Amino acid sequence: MLEREQIQSRGFRNVVADGVVTGFQVAFRSLYYRGVWLSQLRPATVIVDGETFNGDQLTWTISGKTYEQAEMAALGNINWPLLEPALLTIRKPGGLAQGFHDIEIKYSFSASYMPPVMDELMTQIHGPAKRRLLMV
Amino acid sequence: MGNSTQNSGKPKRGVSLYSYSGEYGVTMTMEDMFADIHDMGARGLEILANGHIDGYPEPTDEWVENWFHLLKKYDLVPVEYGHWVDSRLYQGRELSTQESYDMLIRDIKLANRLGFTVLRTKLGVIDDDLTPVKNWREFIAMALPDAEKYNVRMCPEIHNPTVLRSKMVEDYVEFIEKEKTKHFGINVDFGVFQTDPIKMWEGQDLSVLKFSAVEDIIPLLPYVYACHAKFVNMSDDFVETTTPYDRVLKVLIDHKWDGYLLSEYEGKDKDVPGYVSGQLRRQHIMMKRLLGD
Repeated sequence: MLEREQIQSRGFRNVVADGVVTGFQVAFRSLYYRGVWLSQLRPATVIVDGETFNGDQLTWTISGKTYEQAEMAALGNINWPLLEPALLTIRKPGGLAQGFHDIEIKYSFSASYMPPVMDELMTQIHGPAKRRLLMV
Repeated sequence: MGNSTQNSGKPKRGVSLYSYSGEYGVTMTMEDMFADIHDMGARGLEILANGHIDGYPEPTDEWVENWFHLLKKYDLVPVEYGHWVDSRLYQGRELSTQESYDMLIRDIKLANRLGFTVLRTKLGVIDDDLTPVKNWREFIAMALPDAEKYNVRMCPEIHNPTVLRSKMVEDYVEFIEKEKTKHFGINVDFGVFQTDPIKMWEGQDLSVLKFSAVEDIIPLLPYVYACHAKFVNMSDDFVETTTPYDRVLKVLIDHKWDGYLLSEYEGKDKDVPGYVSGQLRRQHIMMKRLLGD
């Protein structure tokens, strides 16, 4: 089962490649009521302790496959399942220090049955995705 | 109507899994939702395709096998399959007619595989008045032979702020008459009859909301293959306080409409465990009484 909060505590960890910490990961679930195609998503921004990451500083992992944000706009046949948290990997050499971190995630998605102006606002109806997480 | 397993001659009760969207995956599984609906003696089921089908749009055979196992276990009838033609799938352009058809046919086949006979076909819109995309007639017409082959009825939902007496509904009826088809119709969301709305958020202006006269549904009934029994607030004495359910259901009964009423809860506290179940149970007591179940 998922945690009630949008940002999940499971999945929050540093990423190590060849013995070097290259960044960190954080998982979040959709609060929408259906899964969306990757091309419906607007690029995410992650703010950690006041530091902002966006664009090619982060990737999305959906169903075990990792996508650069720039390529997702063309992927209209890959679904982000409703009950699967998306795993964001943030490129940050050294990762995050042990202890508490304030995380905020911003993104949006198109919903064609809503007025077009809503496409940039769809996640705002749920309020900001913020959570304080603990890095071990 | 197209969907009856038994011809009762009056509306039948069902539930849309949308009602449970605040709990699904957090405090309720798919089977929990099925069991809850079964408790109410409701049989009709609506799902949202890319919400409730694991592996959508290509579920595994094992998932499909379990789907039919659960339907049997809880005595449920797959009634309505909610899906979308995501016209703004790609930023900056609308889907072509062929692309829209491709999206439609994928869902038509999957709905049929899962036993559904009505589709809640959500079309993309182009403005704040929810005017559907300009090419809807073209791709719906392309899909009519497939809908016939796979025994489904594509139904856009008439949902507030749209009212029943509107250009949109006239256009749909004109299309149905012109095509002489039984495979395209409408789903009426009872929110269109909401005479006493309650504020859902601070600052909401209720004075701008329009509603339809209950009688406006009568001439449309031949084209209505399912209804969303939208509700937002059930009282403890089993009255929906925003919508004249007594009058709406009386019209349906009087005209021997025998499709499914699919409960769609859209009120507060959807994520409070058990709250929606309590609201649904109140609503089904109300509907059982009005229907004489």
